Amino acid sequence: MNGRTEERLTGYLFVAPYLVVFVAFLAVPVAYGLYISLHDWHVLGQSRPFVGFANYAALLRDDLFHRALINTAYFALLTVLPGNAVSLLLALGLNARVRGETFFKTLYYLPVVLSVAVTAIIWRWLYSTEFGIINHYLSAMGGPRLAWLNSPALAMPSLGLMSIWWGAGGNMLIYLAGLRGIPDEYYEAARMDGAGAWARFRHVTLPLLRPALLFCLVMSLIGSSQVFGQSYILTGGGPHYSTLTVVLYMYQTGFSLYRMGYACAVAYVLFALVLGLTVVQYRLVAGRREDMAA
Amino acid sequence: MKAGRVALHLAMAAAALVFVAPVCWMLVMSFLPESEIFQPVPHWWPEQPTWSNYIELWKRAEEAPVPRWFLNSALVAAVGTSSYLLISSMAAYAFSRLTFPGRDMVFFLVLATLVIPGQVTIIPVFLLLQRLGWFNTYYALIVPGLSGVFGVFLLRQFFLTIPRELEEAAVMDGCSRAAIYRSVILPIGKPAIATLGIFSFLGSWNDFMLPLIAVNENEMRTLPVGLMIFLGRYTMQYGLVMAAAVVATIPVIVIFLLFQRHIVRGVVLTGLKG
Repeated sequence: MNGRTEERLTGYLFVAPYLVVFVAFLAVPVAYGLYISLHDWHVLGQSRPFVGFANYAALLRDDLFHRALINTAYFALLTVLPGNAVSLLLALGLNARVRGETFFKTLYYLPVVLSVAVTAIIWRWLYSTEFGIINHYLSAMGGPRLAWLNSPALAMPSLGLMSIWWGAGGNMLIYLAGLRGIPDEYYEAARMDGAGAWARFRHVTLPLLRPALLFCLVMSLIGSSQVFGQSYILTGGGPHYSTLTVVLYMYQTGFSLYRMGYACAVAYVLFALVLGLTVVQYRLVAGRREDMAA
Repeated sequence: MKAGRVALHLAMAAAALVFVAPVCWMLVMSFLPESEIFQPVPHWWPEQPTWSNYIELWKRAEEAPVPRWFLNSALVAAVGTSSYLLISSMAAYAFSRLTFPGRDMVFFLVLATLVIPGQVTIIPVFLLLQRLGWFNTYYALIVPGLSGVFGVFLLRQFFLTIPRELEEAAVMDGCSRAAIYRSVILPIGKPAIATLGIFSFLGSWNDFMLPLIAVNENEMRTLPVGLMIFLGRYTMQYGLVMAAAVVATIPVIVIFLLFQRHIVRGVVLTGLKG
């Protein structure tokens, strides 16, 4: 066997195990899901007739789906910018040559390694109306006892707050790495020019942190558009559908109502939205490259 | 200036408290006797610490098999992670180092799926698992997770940075390509593979969506979904629920504390978040 044949053969053999799994559980499901979404596919149904885009057309008129879209956008609004602000603040603090930096970093990151189920269990108790620690201190300071998870107005913000606590440490590390990459001379030069702390942040830190900011914001946006476990575990989408998200709606349609065709249509609308966000990200990154070239 | 530094440290400590106190509280509550749990004033420290919640957890293993869920999680995460590292590193080696017809097209196709959110395929994967007869088996809990593109992508990037001279020397010595993978690429790629392994293990241990649809027998559950069922069943016994949550959390906290450096570097290099 000559060298090239051996190389080709080894190549195919080495790619094969991964490729089999990839095709079976990623490539085929992507195509299969699209196929299912074009059918009236009830799990228990005798026949699964082809219906074209009827499932997608029905989604356009489906009030609950609209509700889920709005709720998901609301969750993104509640978590993306505030969450990134928290991450950035923590990173700025860590970058200010504090004592015990590693210690603080470890503690801030800790919640990130918890599962969504553990996070939900902890926060359900924190949010408890009667016995929760949040209401306890709130009422000790003369505030009201709030029904965090049981009132339609507060349920989604409560899930948002919990999600920020859970995830802020991840972006914090990325921001910290970005801050470390900014040379001290820039700050010194700005200081020479008489720039105050805010001016240095606004005109040195923020522009130089732009790639990290862009990355974190877009990844957070994509992540928040897929929020599921928090509302599935803690509120089941309630009260009064106030925490029904797109993925939760897909899950309920598929696994409680067994309407797989309709659920797959929901999944593909979500896919289109995420793809749209990704394209916007690439545009923005490309825009930045042009800025730098100019 | 001094006052500013003190204020900064105080603010950092206050923030640390916000992030850690809830986790500590889970631990404390798991040692509270029932009489101390439903109190108008929360107990931050048990007056009479007790193991009773943990003992009770063990006793209830028939109806809510937390020990079995723990073993399931451990098995799925360990087997899943090692298989994932093996097949991803093999494919990454082929994509980065070997020349064969169709290589770049296949890699492009694989890479293109990075933009597909996991939830999009969850219903077709469920139907496939049913059709394969894998529903309620360990295969269903492990194999779909091995299709993730990220490992191949990350390792390929890393392998591309390994100098070719190292391999050429091995080729001169008459090594086969497979032998080069084992004796050159794997040892040098160790840091990247270890980082990927940690994230893959944590991701598998904490995964919620796949185990939710892959199995429905109580005995086959992994911890995250099991905990949710547990929470639903023992809503009023929160000490017990907290003990179960602690059991599910200890392994990830140990891994986190042991491999912090890997994790920090991994997040920065890859944007992965555990």
